[in-house]
Amino acid sequence: MVKITFFNLPENEMKKIFNGKVLFITGLFVASLVIFLGNKAVSWTSTDQFCASCHIHPHSTDSWKRSTHFDNKRGIYVHCVECHLPPHGEGHLWEKAKTGMRDLYGKWFKDPENLNWEAKSQIEYAKNHTFESSCIHCHENNYPLGLTQEGREAHLYYEEQQGDLHCINCHITVGHYDPDRLHEQNTAFGISEEVVAEVYTEPGMIDGFNDFTEYIPGSTVSFEMVAIPGGSFPMGSPPTEPFRDQDEGPVREVSVSSFFMGEAEVTWDEYLAFFKQTGAQGKTADAYLNTGKAEVDAISGPTPPWGAPDQGWGKGKLPAITMTHHAAEVYCRWLSRVTGKSYRLPTEAEWEYASRAGTTTPYFFEGDPGKFVRHGIIDRIFGVDTAVINSYVNYAENSALRTTRPANVKENPFGLVHTLGNVAELCSDWYAEDAYAQYPDGALIDPTGPESGQEYVIRGGSYRDGAENVRSASRSHTLTEQWLKTDPQIPKSIWWYSDCTHVGFRVVCEYNEHEIEE
Amino acid sequence: MGLSAKTSRRRFLENTAAIGAIGAIGAGQLVRACTSESKTGEVEEPVMLDKAPEGEPLKAGVVGCGGRGTGAAFNFLNAGPDVNITAAADLFQDRIDKFRQEMKEEKGVELDDANCFLGFDAYKRLLDTDVDVVILATPPYFRPDHFLACVEARKHVFMEKPVAVDPVGARSIMAASKQAEAAGLNVVTGTQRRHQRDYNNVLARVKAGMIGDIVASNVYWNQSKLWHREKQPDWTEMEYMIRDWVNWIWLSGDHIVEQHIHNIDVSNWFVGKAPVEAVGVGSRQRRVTGNCYDNFSVDFVYDREVHMHSMCRQINDCANEVAEQLRGSKGYTNCRNTVWDPDGNQLYAYEIPVDENDKPTVNNGYDQEHVDLVAAIRTGEQIVEAEETARTNLTAIMGRQAAYTGKKVTWEEMMGSGLKLGPEGELTMGPVDIKALVPVPGSAPE
Repeated sequence: MVKITFFNLPENEMKKIFNGKVLFITGLFVASLVIFLGNKAVSWTSTDQFCASCHIHPHSTDSWKRSTHFDNKRGIYVHCVECHLPPHGEGHLWEKAKTGMRDLYGKWFKDPENLNWEAKSQIEYAKNHTFESSCIHCHENNYPLGLTQEGREAHLYYEEQQGDLHCINCHITVGHYDPDRLHEQNTAFGISEEVVAEVYTEPGMIDGFNDFTEYIPGSTVSFEMVAIPGGSFPMGSPPTEPFRDQDEGPVREVSVSSFFMGEAEVTWDEYLAFFKQTGAQGKTADAYLNTGKAEVDAISGPTPPWGAPDQGWGKGKLPAITMTHHAAEVYCRWLSRVTGKSYRLPTEAEWEYASRAGTTTPYFFEGDPGKFVRHGIIDRIFGVDTAVINSYVNYAENSALRTTRPANVKENPFGLVHTLGNVAELCSDWYAEDAYAQYPDGALIDPTGPESGQEYVIRGGSYRDGAENVRSASRSHTLTEQWLKTDPQIPKSIWWYSDCTHVGFRVVCEYNEHEIEE
Repeated sequence: MGLSAKTSRRRFLENTAAIGAIGAIGAGQLVRACTSESKTGEVEEPVMLDKAPEGEPLKAGVVGCGGRGTGAAFNFLNAGPDVNITAAADLFQDRIDKFRQEMKEEKGVELDDANCFLGFDAYKRLLDTDVDVVILATPPYFRPDHFLACVEARKHVFMEKPVAVDPVGARSIMAASKQAEAAGLNVVTGTQRRHQRDYNNVLARVKAGMIGDIVASNVYWNQSKLWHREKQPDWTEMEYMIRDWVNWIWLSGDHIVEQHIHNIDVSNWFVGKAPVEAVGVGSRQRRVTGNCYDNFSVDFVYDREVHMHSMCRQINDCANEVAEQLRGSKGYTNCRNTVWDPDGNQLYAYEIPVDENDKPTVNNGYDQEHVDLVAAIRTGEQIVEAEETARTNLTAIMGRQAAYTGKKVTWEEMMGSGLKLGPEGELTMGPVDIKALVPVPGSAPE
């Protein structure tokens, strides 16, 4: 037997050392193997092919291959994980693990056919899986050689916003090509579509206090107006109503005079009639700096929008969206002029009165908001019965995150459609959280809201809201600054919100008994 | 980004890294510095070179060869060894001739005929020569275009204040400044107080907390009438306006921008940011030509209700003062050389060292600007001042617009304003479609 000795140490000591070494070497080997395999696994699961093997949503690979991050002059491919995970050292592995778990869950438990890929590619969702740190990791210099004047202004603006903007707010198509998305002034918007149909020469006639059809002279567009008989109602919601917000109270007894209201939200057909007849390029809001005058001509029209205001969802009978409160008001003035009537935005009281249509329940149809909203894991897995609300309201649960046509839902008792959901509707009132408490005591007659304010009331909730926010009493308001964040024009448009796709409006036509009798 | 004298972003990052390297020892202090306004009490003495170090020879071209262009060329030649002026551009032959004569007589520098250019596009041809540095000293209306062209041609720049006359121009300078920074260029602007030892020594004390937190500032440029030119029979309207430029809003930006910018800049520099809004008054009482006002009084507001009151006037036989006053919670200072406690006891005073003949033994601010520029080019310690100067410039424009309109004007409005002054289209030596209309704020009763 050959004995191995080191430095003449006793045998048992030697054994210890020998065992220690074996243990150490084995440990080292195992650790190396784990690291090696781990790295292999990470790189194997980080290839474009691996990503594409599960990501079966339509066109993701095709649109990537047509984008500038694949198809470019420099011969550089930018791979899935280079944008959709943060850079190494900035949470890369952690995010990869999270994404991996989410994707596995999606693959095993969800049907890709039912996923709303289009919604997920909208900027606000895309921000969740496109990492700005990854953009900056490669694009280190915001002011590269050859940058255009517009680019200089835009990047300066981006830096001034201190984190409110993501690169993809403007550069959304660089990773996945989308010919329908524009980040430029859309001068062709709404003026290229020719329709062969009768051009109305006379506006609609009001024959007493009855529903009537309005015809927009000089256009092929008509729409229905519903006579809303005046009356009294409790405005706001009781503290016991599920999901009630503070600003919905105190409940006030309000009476409103008779008026006519648009059966549906103003459609693209209607709004584009205005746009075509008045649209103008090059109007600016800060003319006062040169002239000292802030007013804009009463019937001046919108400038061309930035990008596609209809979001590529289509126009026609879909509700017009993304116009500013100012634009909606100018539309009403224009409509009044071309029809010889008195159109305007509804007051908040008129809006709620018309939407409630005699009901005092959370919705104008039967149902408890508490039952339409999913609580807890059981509801999440098995769902809740939303058949009733689905038939009346286009809201987050059934909207596929986009607007829908009036014909797709049932009307309220007054015959109005989409007061709840679809698009949130601009009112003429300034918003105040305590607006109802600000009014003097006693019954209110045709209240018009606070004297002044910063933002305007919007009502009814939209296709983005859950059942809790499409109640008749729910109140919300415009967010002017936030909704103009990515408008890179200087000055920003006074006509179009660049970052708000869920707001539209409905018109009211004043009913003047004497005038109509004459 | 903060407004500090000579700390470009790159240097700031290096400094931050250095602080990081100190590590645990300085950690307590670092945390304190980050979490509150409290100052450390340690004064970081400003370091200023008397001459730029030796290095590669540098050639400079001058765009705008009037008094300041000539002065700046002299300052550049004083900056250190192996610097030269090799090209010149101007609109007027007499200006170029005088410039060349003075360069020859005073500095022994002779310019080639082939390197002297005339006309509105002369700067472009000057950029095609082999200059390394460009000195921009035309009326400020031209600056944004000139500066951008220099940056795109990868030239180091010294440019006079102001750098723009309108918000569009100021933002163009900001963006081009960032381009210059990214391209490794060096840019010094003519806000020379930032290169004076006296101001920098006081700033070091203010930063160390000698006057506590800054609560208010007053800045003044009240002086007698500046100059004007009478129109000559052989001058076109364009030539007349440009030769009379300080009196025309579109060329000078008015005197609150053109001259008072220095004092507003000191306040912004010491406070460390630009104001968020302004309300002001101003009028035209005695000015002879053009359409500028001759007095402004503007209340600027930094955030947290810290106000800067600014006053400027160019009228004979009135109280004159060119100064800055900064008040803090523990004292006050004239920013230039002295610090007092709240009771008026002197806490610190800086005296410019002089020789036996009472001549300063250190550079004045004008020379120091060019020492700092050439040193930056030769040492690689980058310096880019254009963005901060543009921010002060836009501050002054905000004050001007507040006075012109009578309205409150905000920084945000300025950052989004499409206001661009000057004639439409390409400039030519002919008639100018700009009337001598003086802005009138508000409205009169019907």
